Amino acid sequence: MINSFTLDWFFITLIFSAGLYCMLVSRNLLRQFIGLEIMSKSCLLAVISVGSVTGNLALAQALIITMIVIEVVVVAVGLSLLVKNYRLTNSIDIWSLNNLRG
Amino acid sequence: MTYHTLLFILVATAAMTAVMARNLLLSAIMLALVSVGASLILFDFQAPWAAVFELSVCAGLITVLFVSAVSLIRNEEGKVKDLRARFYAMPLVIAIVAVATWFYGIPFFDSLKNCALSGGRNNSLGSILWDIRRFDLLGQVSILAAGVFVINSIFPRRKKQK
Amino acid sequence: MTTSLLAYLLIPLFTAILIPFAARKRQKLADILATVTLLAGLINIGAILFNPANIANSFAGVPEDGFALLMIFVIYLVALCVTFFSAYFIGEDSKVNRVPYYSLIMTSVAAMCGIVIAGDFFTLYIFVEVLAVTSFAMITSDDSAKGLEGAIKYFLLTFPASLLILFGIAFLMLTAGTFSFENIKIIIASGMPVGPVVFAVSLILLGFLIKSGVVPFHTWTPDAYEGAYAPVSAYLAGIVTKISGVYAVIKISIMFRLFEIRAYHTADILMFLGMLSIAVGALAALRQKEFKRMLAFSSISQIGYIILAAGMGTPLAILGAIFHLVNHATFKTVLFLNSASLEKGAGTSDMRKLGGMEHSMPWTSWTSIVALLSTAGVPPLSGFWSKLIIIIALWDGGAKTYAVLALLFSVVTLAYFLIMQKNIFFGKPTEASRNAREVRPAMLAPVVVMCLLIVALGVFFPYIYAYLVETIAARIIL
Repeated sequence: MINSFTLDWFFITLIFSAGLYCMLVSRNLLRQFIGLEIMSKSCLLAVISVGSVTGNLALAQALIITMIVIEVVVVAVGLSLLVKNYRLTNSIDIWSLNNLRG
Repeated sequence: MTYHTLLFILVATAAMTAVMARNLLLSAIMLALVSVGASLILFDFQAPWAAVFELSVCAGLITVLFVSAVSLIRNEEGKVKDLRARFYAMPLVIAIVAVATWFYGIPFFDSLKNCALSGGRNNSLGSILWDIRRFDLLGQVSILAAGVFVINSIFPRRKKQK
Repeated sequence: MTTSLLAYLLIPLFTAILIPFAARKRQKLADILATVTLLAGLINIGAILFNPANIANSFAGVPEDGFALLMIFVIYLVALCVTFFSAYFIGEDSKVNRVPYYSLIMTSVAAMCGIVIAGDFFTLYIFVEVLAVTSFAMITSDDSAKGLEGAIKYFLLTFPASLLILFGIAFLMLTAGTFSFENIKIIIASGMPVGPVVFAVSLILLGFLIKSGVVPFHTWTPDAYEGAYAPVSAYLAGIVTKISGVYAVIKISIMFRLFEIRAYHTADILMFLGMLSIAVGALAALRQKEFKRMLAFSSISQIGYIILAAGMGTPLAILGAIFHLVNHATFKTVLFLNSASLEKGAGTSDMRKLGGMEHSMPWTSWTSIVALLSTAGVPPLSGFWSKLIIIIALWDGGAKTYAVLALLFSVVTLAYFLIMQKNIFFGKPTEASRNAREVRPAMLAPVVVMCLLIVALGVFFPYIYAYLVETIAARIIL
């Protein structure tokens, strides 16, 4: 019988690889952010699962609250970069980001 | 146990739908579903404070941000030629990852569990936040300040031209 | 976390919040506030470091980590040079909005001090995120498409790296029950099974290697530096990416010394990546045509030396790595600020369009020569000593092949810098350089001060060496 912790990590691996696949495959900048967000969700689940198994739930909660605050700021900054890029170049394709070569 | 596993399956399915959805709006909504699922998992782990944060901030605020970004770039959506075949191949890739994790990952995670130290200090969340992780609160203040300055710098208020 | 150094974090943060209120009516007030705060901090930290009483009793009265003190000094120094420079660089017609620009610089100084005084991996992670978030906005502060492109590339590489760090933290919490540096050292020393702990720390190490731009992950560095607003690229290359990546790598490698043979393969991989960055960075820099892009590749190559020494992990090698980090901050700031001056004076920093600039911009030309000779390791400048320490440490530690290769690539460094100097400053004046004029004396002052510092660090090397040995190397072995 598989214990709960191992099963958690099995699913965490799956969620992480779904996000990673999204970031590797897509050319759409917004989709890249969605992939990043899914990956960070899997990270959050990893921290709470570890906190539960080591009996350190309060510490894990403290970490997760900080992580969520950081995540919001990061997403807001990323989306504002995207919107600004869209206003300047009219595109959200990452393949159009090729002006810098050398 | 079953409820717990079902929640994880819900999150994983929502994540895969968010990646595969053709429509960006659907992706954003599926992302919200991932957040809601994660929040329920946190409740299930007896972590109510983190769960409330997750539900209000990630499922609420971040979804609003994503949906507004999608609506700002609405007409651009069709122009990016993503190779759809790659997205249709995704269930296959995830299945391969699942099988590989089942055979190689699970013994590894089991061995990790065996070396887990249980440092069960029965502190309340408040005492941990204030006493042990006080420095982190300073970090939160500075990242919020940084976020405000960044938005202010990227979208400056237009000066009135005379 | 070191409580006694907390003021270096809080005061810049306070100034950053103060600037938008104070400078609402008069924009000039923003740069005065920023410069004064940084100058006060610099004088304060300088008084600890260069106090004759402290030098006399060999820094026994300084309880803090010497590494942290030295890094705070460098952070304030580079930030002061950049703010002073950009106060004159930002013209009246420029798109840069002064108030958020200076607020961002002050916030990032606070974040860097937070990184340096952090006592555990999670605090380190928070401040690294603050630093990353502020640097995107600084890169795009002149609203150019190139800057945005660099910022987005930086964003897409740096946040997956942060997730790796977070997973590493989760593993550490599982296997060690803690993530403060001191406790991890104790756990490793206590002889418990360290395999999982090494795995967790290696994940964190991988994240920081991506953030510092070591070779397989270096693609964002040249783009971000080239696209960034000119003074900001000096700030990024000089200190920001070094603190957000390389600092943590050195910190972890100090910990790896306790792992000894059990972490041998991780150290091996680290050394290999360092050597690869030295080679790829130097060879790519040889064929660049754009000044800032060439400097970016040179920066990758110099980071390689630091990583190589950190992977070696003997006290002497770590000492060399720290000293090279300080030197890199000084000479790279000079070179990037000079490229900004070239943009201001001649309108471009493309090597194909420039030539014979020594007649029109003599100060810029001479300070570049000092900085590039120091980078290439010509005695008696500071870069020579740090490279010498690194190579001796490698030779002593048994990595003789790496030592010889590091010496050879130091010659390549000299070669590409001489090509650059010949193309831009010597030779026949071109169309662009005939119309060029030297920038204002106020903009030359930071560069000249940095050059004097490079010479001083080289000439007074015995004192610097004593400081490093007494406060860092002697305290590594617990």
